Amino acid sequence: MATFTASLKQESKDRYLTYALSVVSGRALPDVRDGLKPVQRRILFAMLNNLNLRPSGSHRKSAAVVGEVLARFHPHGDIACYEAMVRMAQDFSLRYPLVDGQGNFGSMDGDNAAAYRYTEARLRELAIDVIGEIGEETVDFRDNFDSTVVEPVVLPSRVPNLLINGATGIAVGMATSIPPHNLKDIVKALIELSLDPELSTSKMVSIVKAPDFPTGCAILNTQKELVEMYETGRGGVRMRGEWAIEEQGRGKQFIVVSSIPYAVNKSTLVERIAGLIIDRKVPQLTDVRDESTSEVRVVLELAPGADAEVAMAYVFKNTPLESNFAVNLTALVPVAGGSCRPELLSLRDCLKHFLAFREEVTEKRLIFERKQLLARIHILEGLAIIYDALDEALKIVRISSGRSDAAEKLRARFKLSELQAFAVVDMRIYQLSRTNIEEVRAELAEKEKRVKEIDGILKSKTALSAIVRADLEQIAAKYGDKRRSKLIKDNVDVEFDETQYVVQEDVYAIVTVDGWVKRIRQTNELSSTRIREGDSILSAHALTTLDSVAMITNLGSLFVLKTSDFPASGGYGTPIQKVLKFKDDERIIASFGMRQGKEGASAAGMPPGQGELPLIGAKAVSVLPDMPLKDGDTLVLVGHQGTGFAITLTELGSTKRNGRRVMKLRKGEFVGAVGALNDVMVFVTKGGSALAIKRDEIPVRDTAAIGVALMGVREDDAVVACCGMRSGKAQGVLELKLKAGKSKEVPLSEVTRGHRGLKGSKVYSREEIATAQILIS
Amino acid sequence: MAKESSYSASDIEVLEGLEPVRKRPGMYIGGTDGPAGLHHLVKEILDNSVDEAMNGHADTIVVTLHKDCNSVTIEDNGRGIPVDIHPKFKKPALEIILTTLHAGGKFSDLNYVTAGGLHGVGASVVNALSEKLEATVFRDGFEWRQSFSRGKTEGALKKGGSSRKKGTKIFFRPDPEIFSVTTFIPERVEKLIEEKSFLYKGLKLIFKNEKEGTEKVFLYPEGIKSFLKSLLEIENTVPVGGECFDLDRVNGIKIEVAFCWTESTSERVYSYVNGINTKGGGTHEDGFKSGLSKALRNYMSVHNLIPKGLKIGGEDMREGLVAVLSVSVPGAVSQLQFQGQTKDRLNNPEIEAPVDALTKSFENVLNSKPSVANAIVERISLAAKARAAARTASANISRKVGVSHRLNLPGKLADCSSTKPENSEIFIVEGDSAGGSAKQGRDRGIQAVLPLRGKIINSVVHAQAKLQENRELLDLVSALGCGSGKDIRLERLRYSKVIILTDADADGMHISALLMAFFYRFMRPLVDGGFLYLGISPLYRIKLGGGSREEIVWVYSDEEKERVLKERGTRGKVHITRFKGLGEMNPETLWETTLNPKTRKLLQVEVQDAVEVDAMFESLLGKDSSDRYRMIQENAHRLEVDV
Repeated sequence: MATFTASLKQESKDRYLTYALSVVSGRALPDVRDGLKPVQRRILFAMLNNLNLRPSGSHRKSAAVVGEVLARFHPHGDIACYEAMVRMAQDFSLRYPLVDGQGNFGSMDGDNAAAYRYTEARLRELAIDVIGEIGEETVDFRDNFDSTVVEPVVLPSRVPNLLINGATGIAVGMATSIPPHNLKDIVKALIELSLDPELSTSKMVSIVKAPDFPTGCAILNTQKELVEMYETGRGGVRMRGEWAIEEQGRGKQFIVVSSIPYAVNKSTLVERIAGLIIDRKVPQLTDVRDESTSEVRVVLELAPGADAEVAMAYVFKNTPLESNFAVNLTALVPVAGGSCRPELLSLRDCLKHFLAFREEVTEKRLIFERKQLLARIHILEGLAIIYDALDEALKIVRISSGRSDAAEKLRARFKLSELQAFAVVDMRIYQLSRTNIEEVRAELAEKEKRVKEIDGILKSKTALSAIVRADLEQIAAKYGDKRRSKLIKDNVDVEFDETQYVVQEDVYAIVTVDGWVKRIRQTNELSSTRIREGDSILSAHALTTLDSVAMITNLGSLFVLKTSDFPASGGYGTPIQKVLKFKDDERIIASFGMRQGKEGASAAGMPPGQGELPLIGAKAVSVLPDMPLKDGDTLVLVGHQGTGFAITLTELGSTKRNGRRVMKLRKGEFVGAVGALNDVMVFVTKGGSALAIKRDEIPVRDTAAIGVALMGVREDDAVVACCGMRSGKAQGVLELKLKAGKSKEVPLSEVTRGHRGLKGSKVYSREEIATAQILIS
Repeated sequence: MAKESSYSASDIEVLEGLEPVRKRPGMYIGGTDGPAGLHHLVKEILDNSVDEAMNGHADTIVVTLHKDCNSVTIEDNGRGIPVDIHPKFKKPALEIILTTLHAGGKFSDLNYVTAGGLHGVGASVVNALSEKLEATVFRDGFEWRQSFSRGKTEGALKKGGSSRKKGTKIFFRPDPEIFSVTTFIPERVEKLIEEKSFLYKGLKLIFKNEKEGTEKVFLYPEGIKSFLKSLLEIENTVPVGGECFDLDRVNGIKIEVAFCWTESTSERVYSYVNGINTKGGGTHEDGFKSGLSKALRNYMSVHNLIPKGLKIGGEDMREGLVAVLSVSVPGAVSQLQFQGQTKDRLNNPEIEAPVDALTKSFENVLNSKPSVANAIVERISLAAKARAAARTASANISRKVGVSHRLNLPGKLADCSSTKPENSEIFIVEGDSAGGSAKQGRDRGIQAVLPLRGKIINSVVHAQAKLQENRELLDLVSALGCGSGKDIRLERLRYSKVIILTDADADGMHISALLMAFFYRFMRPLVDGGFLYLGISPLYRIKLGGGSREEIVWVYSDEEKERVLKERGTRGKVHITRFKGLGEMNPETLWETTLNPKTRKLLQVEVQDAVEVDAMFESLLGKDSSDRYRMIQENAHRLEVDV
């Protein structure tokens, strides 16, 4: 037994590197010349060379293809191999499919192809041109894995496959993502570049235009972006499905989506759109149906009178109907010595490499043809010699003893080569006819002429590239088709305004004491709404779905939540912590309706007390502000120990999800009550003390502060209410809501009026007070 | 033969008064041999005082263990047992209560809203079993006193001097005729008192131990929450999320519950009904458990916290739960129904719903404490994941015969028959294709085979938690038996050679590099100790000659192949096969070339330059791909199309 030591570092590194290099060169990246990854190349080669699955022949089971590829060339997983073949047959994956599939080859909806025992396949015409002049010594061959057969290193493709079909792959440390293009455009660019190697990139891009995806769809990139992308080999293509309006009569309209972005799963897309409709995110749409056959047709039903542009703006923003195709033009590029290395390429590089490759192949093809011609000429020359002395030759043959003797004797007499001699003796008798002899002479002359022609071409670079161009033109004529992806120039989008997607509705935004929120339509009876056991309504704001609710918590933060973000619920709603970022033990102590949106101005001018809902039955414990809160309003914040101030609020609409701090608190202190600033502010404590102070006693700030002692509160007591009233209107009562649920009215005249910091006087002491409000009679 | 029986009516005894208690004490207090019955006496009297306190008439109870440790005095400051003459029995109520079974004030709910005393026998039973019992009542401005011995009065109720005190004081000394041991154990008495004080928050209990001359005050304003905290303290654990919760409901059935989660895997619920410990659980516990499940489930579903595909059961939610549940049922004591052999399971169905409803409100507590709630949810998901993993694992378990009975080995492991680590080895092979060959080709005495499926998870980018969930790695670690990470214990390694034997293709290289990274990062001592090896399988099979002169040579590298061809390839036909997968070889071939300890080649992995290894793995397998890009560019000359 032999045990050696190995360094962990070295061994790991070597092994990993071996793997990485193998993935780069032999798995994930396409070759810049034929645009194929090894597995694809092997499939195409095996289909033609081993199985002869020409377009003119019949299909064969995919299993035969997979089996052949695995057995001869590609000792890897069968499923991966089959999937590679399937992809080459899908007209939504490849812009120009290479394989002609028979049976279920999958769909844009993400359905898989049938198993390989069911499906059949053969090559498409285009694939024959990708395999190209394979038999004409144009490309190198190498041994397969077990050295039993040989396989081509690259296919001598006549088609610029890399660019027309694109490729995607993830290797180690690098990846590739090449979008497909239109054949005619690419051929045109190749020809132009061949004629003018200094062709500018912008000119080249104006010919290529943009990628051309098999699924159609619109491309939104600007010319500048495209030039940069093709120049650097990196960028992104913004794709968007195309749509049109179909009138359905009686004012009903359908939006019909006729194309979707490349590599987007259609059924997932439709599900996403349906999800938006179900969640009522796009009120403009009422239904979505996938009516696709072989053509894409996704129907979105438009709500009566709704703006289709607005609806689509939302769909584009929130579903993959608008997607990005990341571009990374990395491919394997041949280097001297016959190997390849990965490189990030520009469009020009891709085209140049292809042209160079075509020239090389064409040259080799011509050399091969010339070799064949010379061999034939050699035979024909032999025949010509014999035809000139036919009778003598026949005599020699007649007296000879057998085939080799005859050949030997002919060679001795006519100075023929062995090949020629045997060609002569192997002739059939009809070939001695007069016409045949003429034909041979004519053929000889023709072949010699062709050799001269080839010699001419091989000497001239320009002649060679002319052939390359001619071949390309022929390919373009044969397979070229119209561009599918339209380049949208000067794309003007409808400005995205999220308020357009909120169904305007009059609702009650409900906040409960335990911190559950929901909204219900105002047509629903508020008193019968469901509240969890032990919970009660803190406040219910009569607003529209365009408005918001501001909430102040015991930890001194202010949160703003759009009414439309209150869950519309017939149940309990959801805990506020689900929609807003609350800290531990943070709870809402007061909430205020905020009118915003289009009717904001008029609503803000409503008289105080309007727009808010009065108390609802015995369930409600409500701290109601005088009026809807708006920017510039001032709130009085009181800590539970009586410290407080007034804050003027601005830019309420821009409050973040984490809330904003409106009151600084000492350790152990929390906000006891909040009220809109008014001429006289009345504070009430849990223990039943009350104090009224004048407006000018309260400091006003515009940022969070600690404040001053507004009311002296015993340590075991706490402020629970802060209500404002106009001066002079003392004809009301202070309604105390007791913890047990009952309420008690105390005449306002019993409340001590004094300076800030005073203790006030007891107005009630039998039970704990939960909160209080002023009722003006 | 037995004497002819003269069994007749005169033989039928009727035990009167407290006689039955003395004849059959076990029926009333459980037993007289051990300390349990003896201490039960204290409990009975204490319960009466506690009932008084619970109904708001007393706030302090003093329990005095006298110097001899044979007698106890329990005094409360309640209303005092009535001393006026009972209209029907024409005796003072005090005397009736102490000398008559089933006499008491708790059968109707007029005077006691809630009571733990059972059936009105407590005081009289204690009296019956005491050598001496002295009851002192402070009531109506006077002190009243009456003495008893073995259940019989020792004189009538005496009205003593005037007193402004209120309450009842009971002194008793258990009867040595009944109890084999009459010495009280102070700790036990103390424990009894402490438990009561936990259950009745705000009740002050004083324990005076005259023997030791000590006095302890038990007063827990937080009640059962303090109980819970003391439980945690004893175990020296902290609650998950740092928080204990308590919920209570005052109206109707009074319910208090305190609970928290710990890292322990057990679940403990201490439940009480009217102060009686219900060890067997019952309807109140059921209500608590179902309410808790609902609260947690609601919370998790509202906040979308249930991991996909994970089924969370009630037991997952309660893993690590420590809870104290105390229910006080108002009304007559007799309404409580108990069940089970030891009568410690509450059976009143009407109690379940209110407990459930109360516990459900825990959802609000969770909502208001997101950070704690998330810690608990995490704890629960972990429990559920572990349970799911255990389930799958138990489905795949096969056991190795011999010393390692305890080990749960992965089902895929084909273990060797030797149980001695020093001469066994394990081959980690790639995939079932290779596994099959290796299993058949090995020496089953000393060689084990563990097939891995596909590529293992990258141990550089993923956190340890993610790795611990990975099936393949779990199997690997459990097959090796020595644990991983910080808990690695090399002495438990079941094999002395851990041999990575992957295919000789690119993917095999990848897997072996990934495995080396895993071993290095999570089982470092195994690498440092020289237990890790790389198996080397031949790259080529060279068939020289043909027919009877055919000879087969295996070569392990390209250079070796060239050498062999050069030296011997002249002898005619040469056929070369490139081996890629171990599955390509016949089991015998694999044995000869790769497995046989006598002929194989092994590479022992050494960490020669520890400093650079971490950086190397980071650049090879880490998240940043720029190093890899550079490396490939640097090594591009080595690129050749691999088959």
